[in-house]
Formats: sequence, C-alpha cells, structure tokens
Amino acid sequence: MTSKRYLDIAAFAVFIGLIMLAPLVMDEFWLNRFAKYLVFGMLGVAIALSWGYAGILNLGQGLFFGLGAYMVAMSLKLASTTSLEQGSDAPVPDFMLWNAEPGAKTDLCCINKGSFLWIPFQSEWFGVVMAIVVPTVIAGILGTIVFRQRIAGVFVSIITLSLVLLVRLLVIDAQPVTNGFNGLTDLGWLTVGDLVFDPYSVATYYLVAVALTLVLGLTRLLVETRAGLILQAIRDDQNRVRYLGFDVPMYQIFFFAVSAAIAGLAGMLYVVVAEFASPTFMDLAFSITMVVWAAVGGRASLLGACIGAILINMTEATVSETKAFVEAWKAIIGLIFILVVLFLPRGLAGFASDVADRVLQRFTKVSRPGRAEQASESVARVQHGRAR
Amino acid sequence: MTAALTIDGIGVDFSGLKAVDGVSMVIEEGELRVLLGANGAGKTTLMDLVSGKTPSTEGRVFLYDTDITNWREHAIARAGIGRKFQIPSVFKELTVRRNLEVASCPSTSVLANLGFGFARERRARVVEVLDLVGLADEADVTAANLSHGQTQWLELGLLIVQDPKVLLLDEPTAGMTQAETARTAEIINGLKGQHTIVVVEHDMAFVRDIAERITVMHLGRVLAEGDIAVIEKHPRVREAYLGSKGIE
Repeated sequence: MTSKRYLDIAAFAVFIGLIMLAPLVMDEFWLNRFAKYLVFGMLGVAIALSWGYAGILNLGQGLFFGLGAYMVAMSLKLASTTSLEQGSDAPVPDFMLWNAEPGAKTDLCCINKGSFLWIPFQSEWFGVVMAIVVPTVIAGILGTIVFRQRIAGVFVSIITLSLVLLVRLLVIDAQPVTNGFNGLTDLGWLTVGDLVFDPYSVATYYLVAVALTLVLGLTRLLVETRAGLILQAIRDDQNRVRYLGFDVPMYQIFFFAVSAAIAGLAGMLYVVVAEFASPTFMDLAFSITMVVWAAVGGRASLLGACIGAILINMTEATVSETKAFVEAWKAIIGLIFILVVLFLPRGLAGFASDVADRVLQRFTKVSRPGRAEQASESVARVQHGRAR
Repeated sequence: MTAALTIDGIGVDFSGLKAVDGVSMVIEEGELRVLLGANGAGKTTLMDLVSGKTPSTEGRVFLYDTDITNWREHAIARAGIGRKFQIPSVFKELTVRRNLEVASCPSTSVLANLGFGFARERRARVVEVLDLVGLADEADVTAANLSHGQTQWLELGLLIVQDPKVLLLDEPTAGMTQAETARTAEIINGLKGQHTIVVVEHDMAFVRDIAERITVMHLGRVLAEGDIAVIEKHPRVREAYLGSKGIE
C-alpha cells in the first residue's frame, strides 16, 4: 500500500467520524437539516459513480431520486393519521377523496381508476423495498436500450434529461394517484418494529448517517474490484475494452443500475427526513444541481463528490440566511461554482489530492520527471518520428 | 502445419463500393504475415472484417476450426483474435500496470469480476509483459504521460497479456522514431513462433526486419503473395505499389 492510499482511507475515516459526532454540536433543527445534506451527499456519490467512474453523465438522476421518494412516501402517506380518518376501515389518502369517481366507495380498491396501485403500499416494507427496486429496474431497462445501441456521451445526457422531464409530467398529470403538483404531504413516520423515526430525532439522523457510511464504503469497494477497474477502462476507451473481449454494455448497465439504486435510497431517506415527496424532485434544475455538486467536489472521487454536495448545501443555507447576502446569495454561490470549475477542474478532491502529492513528495524526496517535462519529451519524439 | 486463420472469399460492399472484394488467404500457425498495399487497398478494412468491426457481406472467416464470421467484436476477441488499432488506444487515466491488469482479467462477466486482485500467475504474466514491451520502469506511470512510442508498446502489451491465438497489428510503427521502430521490430520478432501475427505496415525498413511472407493488396483484392524476393520482383506489384525502386 502506498502512503497516498493511507491518506485516502484516513480521509474517509475523518469524514465518517465527523458525521457521527455531528449530533453533539447540532440542535434538532440543524440535525434535521444536516441529515438532508447527507442525503444530497449520497446523490453526489451516485453521480460520481456514473459520471466520474463510468463516464456516463446522467442529467436525469432526479428520476431515480424521485421514484425512490414516491415509493416510500406512498407507504408513509397511508401510515399517517389523516389517511385513517377518511371514513373507511382501511387507510385512504385524503387527496383521493377530492379526486374520487362519483359515487365510488371510499376504499383503495376503487375510489378512483388508479387507486388500486396503492394497495400493496399499505405494507411499509413494500414501499421501502420498491424505493430501491423500481429505480434499479428502470435504470436496467433504460441502460439496456441505451448502451446496447452504443449510445454514448452527450446523447445519453439528452436521453436521461428528457426522461426525467417526461416522468415529471406524467406524475403531475396523474393527479388522482399522485396528488399532482402538490405531491405527497402530511406523511406518517417511518416505523421499524418499536423504533419510530421522528424526523427531528437523533435516531433518524443516525439512520441517514449510517446509510451514507455504508453507501460510501460499499461503492468504494465496488470500484476497487476488477469490474470497477474494467469500468474505468471503458470510460477511457470503450472500443479498446471491447476488443479485449469484454461485453462493454453489461458493465455500463450494471454500474448505471447501481448508481440508480443509490439515488433511489437517497430519495427514500429524504422523504423520511423531510416528510414530503413532490414532483419538484424531478425538476431539471435539481438534476443539474446534483451534477454541479459532484463537479465542485470532484467527480473522480466518491468522497469528494459527497463532501462537495454537503459543503455547497451548508454554504447555501448559511449565506442565504445571512442578512447582508439575502439578496445576493445566489450570485455568490454561482461565483463559487465558476471559480471552482475554472481553477480546480478536478474539483476540491483533485485539489486535495495534488496537495497530498506535493506533501508526500517533500517527505519521500523522490524526484521524478514532472508532467510537463514528460509531455515535451513525447511531443519531441512524435515530431521527430513525423519528420523522418 | 495447421491453419490458424483462414479467410475465404471475404468481402464487403459499402453500397456499391467494394472495399474488400473476395479476399482469400490462409495464415499458418506461428506465421508472421505482412499486408502491404497503397492507401485504399483495403488492408485496414480486411482487419475490420476479421475482427468483427465491420460485418462482411460475403465470404467466411475461420479461427482454426471455428467459424467466427460476423460474430460480435468481444466474442471474436475472446475466441482469440487480438487487434491493435492504427491510432494507439490505451486507458489514459490508468497506470501502465493497471492497463495490463484490465487485459488480464480472467473472466469477462461483471459478476465474476466483482472480486479483488489477481491470481499470482496473472500478476507474474503482467510483469513478464512489462519487461517484454520495455515498460518495466514506467509501470506506475499514468498512461496519458507516456510518449507516443511507449503508448504503442503498451497497446501491444495489452494484447500480449491475453495470449491471443492471432494478433492483428495495424501499423504498429506509425509515428515512431527509427530507434523506436527498431525496438518494435525486436518485440514483434520476439513474438514470432509463439503467436500467429498479421501486420499491416508501410515502413519498408521495418517490413524487411520482420517479414516472412507478404501479401500485397490492391483495390480490395490480393495482388500477390510470397517472400520478399518474390514480391520485389513481381511486375504487377512494382507497377501498382512499389515503383521502380523495389523494397529498399
């Protein structure tokens, strides 16, 4: 193991230590907020996995986040007290009464045309499992179509971008089943056995923090496997990988689906913490914001993208609530983005890695030819070769 | 001798343009065959047809006894045909060693590759190939920082690690200095006998260094076949390609 790797592991450890200790210094209001930012950090990991490692710039990650959110929100909606007070033995969401077919019985089976879809969500576990399964399966199908056709680069971004907008429209349009624009609000709390996850409790914070730790750890292990290595090779030159005998689309589909599963999990946890699901999760702006988080944090680093998402959201919250910046905060955040992209093209993680390299070099005193030297040497060789 | 690669009347019709038109050749096991021909003679297209990049519209290709005509590219590669491209393609953001490790993955399926590390003999093979292509000192250098010649050797190394039955090399010395070309000839000569090799090349000094049998192509067809002496004296080859000076 190189010392660079030790530093890498140390960075992970410090980050996890910090998020585990957060409840010591934060009141419940900030803890709830910070839990949301950790969820966004998880989205950063999902983006870094697909963009940084697989080279797939998904501009519709909000689709998977939104699907995960809606799946669990449906279960939590049925678990809320208002759903039990609609004059039926079984829970029925309040908005379905406003959208009921004339004369229909107040029951999920037939109150309106699509309401039967809600029946299995009476089980909370069904909602939780579907929050992961639905995004994964949809990503699998989408990936199969896109990657088998060898669609790559900006075209994948355009397809994912259109798809998230399409699904957003469908969700808004299916008012009787989804409550349209208003989304699902007034939700119950997630309950596992005797444990009730009050969104403002320390337990809920730890649910999110532990989930993020697991996601970070597992995806890190995943990219260290041989499959992860092949994935990075595909990012650099898919054709070369294909001619080494690998079925390239299988790898792309697999990692695309993993990224979607992480986004689905993030959507689910967001609902537990924020107590609502809304079509705004599938707004274009939100999906693009996620990409910006990853770009600022460093898309080539899972931890970097995660920290990027958390830092940006904390900065946004602090700046927008500072009196002097109330009017100007968006401009300030925008300026930060521009500066980072201009001067730190590999994001904060890339910057940290460069600093670490320099420090390590000073300690080990290994003198290697610098990049610039090597580049000019190879240019000279090529030119010499051409002139011959 | 057994035939390693049998090409039987292969051809492709690009809506009227026959880039390769009924080419047949038999390449024996362990042979090193050089493909010569002017630009547009169909050399690279022939390689595309064999490696599955371009589907053929006529003819068949056999690797030993297996009919691999129009298989998917990765299946052909797995069957044992390794191809090097004209424009060197390696994994630029990975180190030289990691590049070779990609090629040395024992299985191609995603699930089988969800493990860590490589077996001892695979790692030994990577070290062996690093030496063979002369990149042992650059093992931990990111591929993007290699010189042009080193990049070409690395791509050659990617193929060698896999021990393919047949190597297709498309202009392996393109853009190289004389010293680098000589070194490449050395590497390729070192592979002679262990691998069956087909090389497309323009550099005549290099062809002289490595060639055993030469096939000359012209306008999508085979014009002549034989050793250097035969090819040099072949009147139609001189007319079509070499000019009056022959192979210098």
